[in-house]
Amino acid sequence: MIQKTLEWFVNNWLSLLTPAVVFIAFIVASIWLRRKLFIYLERAFSQIRWEEKKVFLDTTKTPFLQWCIILGGYISIQLTPLPVHLKTFFGKIFSSVFILTFTWTIIILLERILHLYLKKINLFPANTTTVIIKGLKIAFSVVAVLIILDLWSMPVTPLMLMLFIAILITIFIARDEITNIFSGFEIARNKLIKVGNYIKLDTGEEGYILDITKTNIYVKTSDGKILLIPNSKFQRSIVTIISKSLKQATQPFRFSARLHLKELTGLKAINIQELVTILKKVDNSVIYYHTHNFIEEFQYLTPQPPNDFALWVNDALGDQVLGEKLANIDTFEFSTIGALRERIVEVIEEEIAKRQEHGIKDAPPGREFHFIKSLSAVIPTSYVAHDLREFIDILRVVSLGTLYYHILEARLRLHKGVNDFSIWIDDCLGEKALADEIAILDPYTYTLEGLRSMIINLAEKHLEKEYAFG
Amino acid sequence: MPLDKDITFHLKAKLHDYIPIVGRGTIEALYALAEKLSGKTVVNINSTFSGGGVAEILIRMVPLLNQLGVDTRWMVIKGNEDFFTVTKKFHNALHGKKEIITPEDYALFLDVSKKNIEEMQLAGDIVFIHDPQPVVLISKKGEIGEKWIWRCHIDVSNPDIDVWNFLYQHVVNYDATVFSAPNFARKLPNRQFLIHPSIDPLSDKNKELSEETIDEVLNKYRLNKEKPIILQVSRFDYLKDPVGVIEAFEMVRKNIPCQLVLAGGTATDDPESDKVLEEVRQRASDNPDIHILLIPPESDIEINALQRAATVIMQKSIKEGFGLTVTEALWKSKPVVASAVGGIQLQVKNKFTGLLCHSIEGAAYALRLLLSNPEYARWLGKNGNEHVKQNFLITRHVKDYLLLFLSLYHYQDVIYL
Repeated sequence: MIQKTLEWFVNNWLSLLTPAVVFIAFIVASIWLRRKLFIYLERAFSQIRWEEKKVFLDTTKTPFLQWCIILGGYISIQLTPLPVHLKTFFGKIFSSVFILTFTWTIIILLERILHLYLKKINLFPANTTTVIIKGLKIAFSVVAVLIILDLWSMPVTPLMLMLFIAILITIFIARDEITNIFSGFEIARNKLIKVGNYIKLDTGEEGYILDITKTNIYVKTSDGKILLIPNSKFQRSIVTIISKSLKQATQPFRFSARLHLKELTGLKAINIQELVTILKKVDNSVIYYHTHNFIEEFQYLTPQPPNDFALWVNDALGDQVLGEKLANIDTFEFSTIGALRERIVEVIEEEIAKRQEHGIKDAPPGREFHFIKSLSAVIPTSYVAHDLREFIDILRVVSLGTLYYHILEARLRLHKGVNDFSIWIDDCLGEKALADEIAILDPYTYTLEGLRSMIINLAEKHLEKEYAFG
Repeated sequence: MPLDKDITFHLKAKLHDYIPIVGRGTIEALYALAEKLSGKTVVNINSTFSGGGVAEILIRMVPLLNQLGVDTRWMVIKGNEDFFTVTKKFHNALHGKKEIITPEDYALFLDVSKKNIEEMQLAGDIVFIHDPQPVVLISKKGEIGEKWIWRCHIDVSNPDIDVWNFLYQHVVNYDATVFSAPNFARKLPNRQFLIHPSIDPLSDKNKELSEETIDEVLNKYRLNKEKPIILQVSRFDYLKDPVGVIEAFEMVRKNIPCQLVLAGGTATDDPESDKVLEEVRQRASDNPDIHILLIPPESDIEINALQRAATVIMQKSIKEGFGLTVTEALWKSKPVVASAVGGIQLQVKNKFTGLLCHSIEGAAYALRLLLSNPEYARWLGKNGNEHVKQNFLITRHVKDYLLLFLSLYHYQDVIYL
């Protein structure tokens, strides 16, 4: 037996040696080539800015040697005196191994690069990243298996067809999801937004970003609702982004609600002489009531008739001239009720002096002027603003009574001379320009809702100018 | 028979149901106010649990105050038929109507009041007396309650002076009085507050109705949906001037196709009521576009539907109390033509929330203006709705009551709570 074997080796040593030498030479050459190639690649990659280059080189270095060994083995087999069918059989084995290692390398490479990339953009939560990578692994593995099956002459057409249909169905069902995922990539790539930003879409949605997921952006609105904005919609919209940190107030602004009750004084006037006599002696709260009542009761009307005296003189006495003169008294010009009272008295007395000769007209029965006193109750609310954004959000939802108190009552009745908002914005936020813009708004020429919108607009514009991009 | 009884209120409306109408801020403010009354008990006293405007308000107000956490109770005084005959006379006399009130009537009133004082198990911190019937209960002031309030729901500006003087000796002992309109009040030495009545937007009379319901009512009364409807809702009474309404309508109908609906009932305690109805029927007999609808009591949905179907709503009263039918019309965003009398003037600011008139011709002119200018009519209606929303809904009424109770413990003009 040994004798026969030796004899076979003696007769065929060249047929065996040649493939072995070729194989060894191939390995040596491969090691040399790999060394040269990777030195070259390291140099080449050092010239370009690609942060994942180390991963690429580390991942492909060992498989490159494996592929050379597989190629060497394949060529060596072809040089052996084996029958053709065996050569083909071994060829398929080498090819299959090559496909498997190549696929595996691609998968590992993708996994490492994607991990790095997705971690860097911080777009998806960890579990989503894992799902994406697993999906890719499966896709590549399936392709590799199909190629190997084809290599072994197995029927792959029905399998591919089924796979193709399944993919189509999946795409159709998840088309919105897919659009949102692609939009999510784009949003992540642009890096324009991050959690905590305040965004405003041209379609009206606005609020703070709570979370950015692969498909949606979660936004918390001023009234506490959570909006779910699909990434695709976000991408299609014109977006204003407040990203810089807002100034924090040195003292927060606590909103108060103001409610009022009417107290009758029992005093009534039948003509302008009685009107002016009583006007001189009543409490400031009476003057305040009759110069502000219309704003509260008819706060939705624009322009608002200015004061009850002008209305009564006009409607009950039919005295348009005095009515116009009283209406022309601009309450906004006065910083105290005393000064306002003096002006009203002055205007009426001027007219009385002119009319002494012709007599003073009485109001018809039932149309007397009843003097009413305003009682205010001020209650602190739970709304507290620490910065301008919170201030705007709260201003949108507080009652009109709150707005009225901080703008009108604070300025005149509580003798502050300017509204509460301007004081806080200037003193506690240091935003003097905005404070001044709000301070010069004449609240007597707006409805309360109009005034609310105007202040919000001024504050929003200020935010956009100072803090926004997008 | 017990003098006072525990009654269970089955008011469907909850406070949060009003949030879509008046806003969250308004309801939050009510809770904040109510919290300041924590520990106080309010007891309302009037003469009946059902029927009449006062009971209608209390049946809604008391549950809402309790929902806010204010311990609020409701009791009624006891009285026989003779007692209520006398109080009806008082009521009329306070309205300025000439009534023969004998010393025996006054004696009976005091006698029944005294029995109520002895038998009623009164308890509470704030005792809220409604109208003249229980006014004498103030005699218990030294023993019960911290604050006593008298709420006068009627116009006492031109009363029979004898009746007023009789009541005055009791009224002055209250800590505060409350009137519905400035010109309903009289000068008094105690504090006087002004609290307007209100409507409940969730009641059958004012809630939203479906088109089907409105159509059903129109079909029931054979009204043409396609033709503009001018509507006046009021009992058949000379003071509501139904004949004046017909005359104004006839002036308008010469040029503008429209129909008039006079809807209301007759007052059982007013013998004149049937006479007025007959007169109105005769006046309208030859006009197919005038519909006289005798609506039974408790037909709130039908009244609501007619108001919602109307193109213009009138209230051409010669004399009026507060005029809650006007409030209801304004709430439904309807353009209103109303006389400049009583509480109507507080609701209809001429050319802002409706049109005021002083004559039949003035009413006809206003009707023509509104029927020919639907855009203007819509603008007035919108303003009217907003005006009622701000000033005459039950939530404002609740707020006023809470503030009233609190103001009795504070004397400043600006109270920081």
